[in-house]
Amino acid sequence: MFATARSKIQTWITAGAGTIAALFVAGLMGAFGALPAHAPPQLSPDAAIEAGRWRLQPVRAYVSHARVYGVALKPGQKALVLEVDMTNRTAQSDKGYFNVFTPEGIALPDPSPMIALVRDSTLTPELHPGMTERMAYVWPLAGDAAVPANLAFAVTAEIFKPHDNLYGTPGWYNPYRLGTVTLPVADLPEGGQPQSGQSGSGS
Amino acid sequence: MRIRVLGNLAILCATVALSYGMQVTKPHYAELTAPVPIDGAMHDTVRARSFDVRLDKVIFARRLKTDQFGQEKLLTTSGLWAVVTTNLTAVGTSTTVADGTWQGPTGLRYHQTERLGYRQDMPPHGVDPGLDKRGLFVFEVPPDQIRGARLLISARQFGPLDAQARISLDGLTIGADGQPAGILPEFDLDAPPSQGKS
Repeated sequence: MFATARSKIQTWITAGAGTIAALFVAGLMGAFGALPAHAPPQLSPDAAIEAGRWRLQPVRAYVSHARVYGVALKPGQKALVLEVDMTNRTAQSDKGYFNVFTPEGIALPDPSPMIALVRDSTLTPELHPGMTERMAYVWPLAGDAAVPANLAFAVTAEIFKPHDNLYGTPGWYNPYRLGTVTLPVADLPEGGQPQSGQSGSGS
Repeated sequence: MRIRVLGNLAILCATVALSYGMQVTKPHYAELTAPVPIDGAMHDTVRARSFDVRLDKVIFARRLKTDQFGQEKLLTTSGLWAVVTTNLTAVGTSTTVADGTWQGPTGLRYHQTERLGYRQDMPPHGVDPGLDKRGLFVFEVPPDQIRGARLLISARQFGPLDAQARISLDGLTIGADGQPAGILPEFDLDAPPSQGKS
């Protein structure tokens, strides 16, 4: 009884080791690089996007030549502004929204945007569970940078891990490209003001 | 011979089952080092490890008026502003109380607002033993997260194994529509503290 079982196990192990070695060598030689890469999907700008801990509803994008939402621009700079309605889908207040949007195909002097609450221009406040707020992502651009009429923004989401590998604490990890949302970009002339969501602070 | 083999197999299986059971029921690191809750009610003094806290009153308002760098600011919110007045004192040595969280009835955690900037009466509160200090905590909460809520106050935001005062807000008067009674249209944070009622 044990003899037949032993020979069976030996057969399985030998066959399995062969398969694993073949896959490993193929991987080393770059055989999987020939697989067609999955392009990130196009997301509809009209529907809400569920991106990990955030629900996003893009409102509009425009280029501003003056100070927007308290973000001062250096002389000769303009700013690409993306306004989004953001809802925190988690159970606690959070401000991990810095890498959610990235404009594609445009040269940015600084890839990290300034993010302001449209309500009163507070910079990077925490957003509270279930309370939708309109946020403005502001990327300063060189004054002569060309901005296409339709700009694609890459949307990055994260996955929830109930226990991370180091401390066993719950959290949001492993950012991945959820998709791309394309919005028309208006150009607001000097002194032009965004129509809605005026800051009440007067600052 | 065969009995010994079977016996060994049985012992091995029992060990595996026991070890697996212990592994799946093991509390996680986050639970083992969580803050130690100390429960209390409104208007009672809750004794945490390094500070005592008494919740005096909660004021709800639609808008908040504050003075920021000499400029008057009117802060709006999509929910309600909850201004919680507490009385704080240190236990043994001067310390700070920096963290306040509004925990809704279903466990949603609303951290204190960051939209007010620096103010003398906002966290972090410097407290000293034997001296009472009025400390404010300001939250933005949706109206449906007020009935059955609890206020969590601790010395710092990530304080493993430190005390956390958990004060249940069951003394609030809540109307039939689920909204708290006596919502002020506007609350001035710089007005003298006699304004409004609990």
